[in-house]
Amino acid sequence: MKLLVFVLNNEEFLEEVLEAYIEAGVTGATILDSEGMGRFLTYEVPLFAGFKKFMKGNKPYNKTIISVVRNQDTIDRLKKLVDDIVGDLDNPGTGIMFTLPVDWASGLVPEDEEV
Amino acid sequence: MGGICKRLPAECILLDCHDPAAEKEPIIRRLVEALAQVHGISDADQLVRDIMEREELASTCLGFGCAVPHAHSPILKNTVIAAARLNPPLNFDAPDNEPVSLVFLMVGPENSAVLHLKLLSKLARLLHDAGFREELLKAETQEAFHQLICRKDE
Repeated sequence: MKLLVFVLNNEEFLEEVLEAYIEAGVTGATILDSEGMGRFLTYEVPLFAGFKKFMKGNKPYNKTIISVVRNQDTIDRLKKLVDDIVGDLDNPGTGIMFTLPVDWASGLVPEDEEV
Repeated sequence: MGGICKRLPAECILLDCHDPAAEKEPIIRRLVEALAQVHGISDADQLVRDIMEREELASTCLGFGCAVPHAHSPILKNTVIAAARLNPPLNFDAPDNEPVSLVFLMVGPENSAVLHLKLLSKLARLLHDAGFREELLKAETQEAFHQLICRKDE
């Protein structure tokens, strides 16, 4: 069992990405509004205001999708689908995806009942 | 030797300087001139313009009497730092309205934004230490001021 975290930089892809989650077998997730450190520093901390020009092309706000996934096959399927939607995550400005082991959980809905 | 220490030569530390008109720009110009002498910067006027343009964007004051004016400039090849201790303290348009006693000027080329950002963040962190600021305000010579920076920057 793993905690899958995906920081989606371009919010416009959220709907398609969630469709990919369901298609891959991840039928439950929590979506958080998030923002990049660069945006916060350059717009909220005056000392760093001069770095705004280096933010060009970066999305100021993003979505962080967290979900508990029971098997690696689901993650592999999802990764391929997500790459098709947002582009290779190795390209800057697309997003960051990673997993963490979950050794215990309570309150998870059985996969076949989620959505 | 840390990144700040090696970019701030003792010759670029101006102790107890003041401007008769109590203006920000002449202080910045003196710091730029010190950098120009040590690093052979050809167009000091352009550099002053670049710094003042950044100053107009938002305050570079950290609060508690410290300011870190900075800019990227196409005329520079390396990131360099100069410092001034102002006596009397000067109005730098700080958000906390505190007059500024310690000024660290940092300038670098446009293609070294990450280095610039790291040095700026570190400088801000060091200057948050009240004891360290006090030591800088009491340093009797450029060398002593420089040594304090280098020790803290290790």
